[in-house]
Amino acid sequence: MQDFTRRNFLKVAGISSAAAFTGIGCAANGMRGADKAHVVVVGGGSGGATAAKYIKQFSPNMRVTLIEPNATYYTCYGSNWVIGGFAGMDDIAHGYDTLRDDYGIEIIEDRVTAVDADARSVRLSGGDRVSYDKLVMSPGIDFRYDDMPGISESDADRIPHAWKAGSQTELLRSQLRDMPNGGVFVMVAPPNPFRCPPGPYERVSLVANYFKQEKPRSKIIILDPKDGFSKQGLFEEGWAEHYGDMIEWRAGSDGGRAEEIDVSNMTVLADSGFERVRADVLNFIPAQRAGQIAHDVGLTNDEGWVPVDQLTFKSEMDDNIYVLGDASVAGAMPKSGHSANNQGKIVAAAIVREVSGQEPINPSSANTCYSLVTPDYAISVAAVYQYQDGAMAGVSGAGGVSPSGASSSFRRREAEYTRAWYAGITNDIWG
Amino acid sequence: MKKSHLYLVGLAASLAMAGTATQALADDEITRGQLMAASCKACHNAAAADSGVPDLNRIPADVIVSQMKAFRDGDRDATIMDRHAKGYTDEEMEAMAGYFSRF
Repeated sequence: MQDFTRRNFLKVAGISSAAAFTGIGCAANGMRGADKAHVVVVGGGSGGATAAKYIKQFSPNMRVTLIEPNATYYTCYGSNWVIGGFAGMDDIAHGYDTLRDDYGIEIIEDRVTAVDADARSVRLSGGDRVSYDKLVMSPGIDFRYDDMPGISESDADRIPHAWKAGSQTELLRSQLRDMPNGGVFVMVAPPNPFRCPPGPYERVSLVANYFKQEKPRSKIIILDPKDGFSKQGLFEEGWAEHYGDMIEWRAGSDGGRAEEIDVSNMTVLADSGFERVRADVLNFIPAQRAGQIAHDVGLTNDEGWVPVDQLTFKSEMDDNIYVLGDASVAGAMPKSGHSANNQGKIVAAAIVREVSGQEPINPSSANTCYSLVTPDYAISVAAVYQYQDGAMAGVSGAGGVSPSGASSSFRRREAEYTRAWYAGITNDIWG
Repeated sequence: MKKSHLYLVGLAASLAMAGTATQALADDEITRGQLMAASCKACHNAAAADSGVPDLNRIPADVIVSQMKAFRDGDRDATIMDRHAKGYTDEEMEAMAGYFSRF
């Protein structure tokens, strides 16, 4: 202990003097730069709220403003618990009081309608402008309804996506509650890349858990444009064990690719029109792209996502804008709340160091993603990432999924850790 | 800048570090170990502690390092920490472990 502490101390001291040698007077100037800089964060989800909070942790005197239209943020992770009927909306609701009162972050409850990158200011829906030195954007996702014939965004009040948590979550839950025993729940899963890769498959698991208890003659069909999905072997193992043949997954190359949605008849056309799948409850999760504001500012690539320098998450298009979370192109890091949380910390450090005249650092980062197959049976995937050769890449030898064939006590422990993970990460972000 | 001045600045920086660790770190730049420790905080904070996920702010640095090595080397039973621990070198574990009490 003693030895370790001293060794660590010497290492830290060494870094400190090296920094002093490379930039005389820089530290003092740097601190003043950090104190003067104003960082505006657009979007109060996992990425944006983390970035705002950690900038204040790393540099308490820096001025940080968080702009978010909703007073309450509902996490997409955990929303499948609500859809499965064993959690309420309050359980996935988070506010901004702690960030404002304890961390000194200015909270503006409004929508950003435009960014003037040349003038370094954002415009709010009421017309007011907020100027920035550095802008952090965590705009999340928007949907590509145009990719699917027959359906448009205005149909979402009848055919929910429930892929942004909130009223859509409640709508899908109420439709499942109202569905008769013996009904058919059809999910049209999205193509890659999309928010929360295991999410669709956790959702059908927890709907199956609800059906098994309340509506056991019901059926679930997943129409998938893909030929595989996250944690597939583990999901299928859990489905077979708990739900028998209630869940039917159709791969894209096996007739699973939806080609049109007949909204008025609640029917999905697939397999070159040979297959017509009628739903009592239809959950269409569209193809996705970066949130609209990222497109409006001109930060997106041809695929609709935001390319960034993956060491700092600075936009490739603008030197003063950082983009993180689901909207960004982040190499091997999945579009998950945990990734966004970690990227928020990377962005916070990168900004504090940049305004202090310091080079970025190259940290390791991690993702942990739990999925419930039942409320007491969970599986996980983990990875450690490092910036290598221009992209976030998985550290070889680390990470991977839960073991197959594990005991029920192992799955139960992972279910307990699922809830612990939720409590922990939401506290790290909003608490 | 003369060499003697450089030396003095370096010495001053080292002496500043010798005050208290917290004081010195607060005045100094963010380091790699600190940023990596922040990553662990996603799960390992006070809110998750009731569920058996330890709050690393309350764990001594040498214990964090020894347990991370045990997870990595298969010497401690795990559900997920074995998969995480394999992603870090000894030096990285030590660099992370020293920063938790700072948050």
